[in-house]
Amino acid sequence: MSDSFPADTQEPVLIIEPGRMEKNYWADLWRYRDLFLILAWRDVSVRYKQTIIGILWAIIRPFLTMVVFTVIFGRIAKLPSDGTAPYALMVFAAMLPWSLFSNALSEASNSLISNANLIGKVYFPRLIIPAATLVAALIDFLISFAILIGMMVYYQFVPGGHMLLLPCFIILALLASLGPGLWITALNVKYRDFRYIIPFVVQFGLYVSPVGFSSKVIPEQWRLLYSLNPVVGVIDGFRWCILGGNSPIYMPGFLLSLAIIAFFLYLGITRFRKMEKTFADLI
Amino acid sequence: MSDIVIKVENLGKMYTIGHQAERGGYTALRDVLMENARTIWSKTKDLATGKPIIQGDTMEEVWALKDVSFEIERGDAVGIIGRNGAGKSTLLKILSRITEPTTGRVTIKGRVASLLEVGTGFHPELTGRENIYLNGTILGMTREEIKRKFDEIVAFAEVEKYLDTPVKRYSSGMYVRLAFAVAAHLEPEILVVDEVLAVGDAEFQ
Repeated sequence: MSDSFPADTQEPVLIIEPGRMEKNYWADLWRYRDLFLILAWRDVSVRYKQTIIGILWAIIRPFLTMVVFTVIFGRIAKLPSDGTAPYALMVFAAMLPWSLFSNALSEASNSLISNANLIGKVYFPRLIIPAATLVAALIDFLISFAILIGMMVYYQFVPGGHMLLLPCFIILALLASLGPGLWITALNVKYRDFRYIIPFVVQFGLYVSPVGFSSKVIPEQWRLLYSLNPVVGVIDGFRWCILGGNSPIYMPGFLLSLAIIAFFLYLGITRFRKMEKTFADLI
Repeated sequence: MSDIVIKVENLGKMYTIGHQAERGGYTALRDVLMENARTIWSKTKDLATGKPIIQGDTMEEVWALKDVSFEIERGDAVGIIGRNGAGKSTLLKILSRITEPTTGRVTIKGRVASLLEVGTGFHPELTGRENIYLNGTILGMTREEIKRKFDEIVAFAEVEKYLDTPVKRYSSGMYVRLAFAVAAHLEPEILVVDEVLAVGDAEFQ
């Protein structure tokens, strides 16, 4: 009880009780920022250890997928591009946010399980673990961004001023993956079924989301419904930034995607916080 | 007035464990199939209600700790002894906030660092140098603190030569020495330690 202690503001007094939500959780999160940075750094530096081409893997995978999609959807199925933009460029403008989203989602979802040893042995706000995985996905994204610049040079495509807003959409893509990622990684601690669901969802999402085609090929009456997939908003935003006027944003759909992202983020954080205390017992 | 830094009142921690029911005689394929169908059903029910999956047919509640109360004053070094499974580690896990108690309350004054295992978070692919930073941060040291004590840690562990070798190539003795060296340079107000001192060769100890 606090009354048995002298009122000493120098030392923090910690009370541990069942079901007690920590008041200073968010302040704690800030206090542990060193840990966040070092876990993020660990994930990045371990990622391509003992590989020959190392970081090039971050470039090759999205590039080859882009080539295949351009051939199948652009050449064979002859789907229209956005305005006058080259089809390959349009595909890659969506490939970037998609791989950012899917990498971040799958790594965040597995993050708690792969750090089980830490969870059982030390205390820190657990939110740090899934959040730190986002950094590794972001680094991969920045590397594959080099391909986009190369393609713009090749097609002699000059981006407009919209390009300056791209960082906002990068953050949006990360938030879109963090929400479900937090929820799934917490569930994963209890029910390992979710480990098998995520690779499937990611594979499925690649075809359901407008990566290989423009979201304008979706019939007008279905577009709002289509935007229930939060990635649609992110991809449309990326295309708008990169391709400029060729790819105007469909506003009602974009706002809906934003709302869904916010909803999942809220859901993810609250669920995670609720289950957090039991992680060490269940993992 | 005595200076109490840790106060534990009526602390209890309950776990639920499962037991396999006795099965007499031989088992027919039909029984196995029925049994599997039943488990899937009960697991789905657990999922829907948010309960953890526990293997077994009957559940039992086990109190790893019950009605534990004590006080520790500033400057005290307290050891807890007991048989295996007596709940020593559980108590330490509660004190270091890794797990939550089922009942009771703990009040702690001061910064706590817990050392329940040496080398927590060591990554085999990273070098000795990198692991010192990783492990130090995990145990709650700041970057500056580690930088300041880095040479001391390396000298203590006697691994200068292998600082840039991945720790997966270390001998198990070297590995533990390095891990312990980091832990030994922690300077918290309250240190929670769980049988981690039993490492190293005679010289090291």
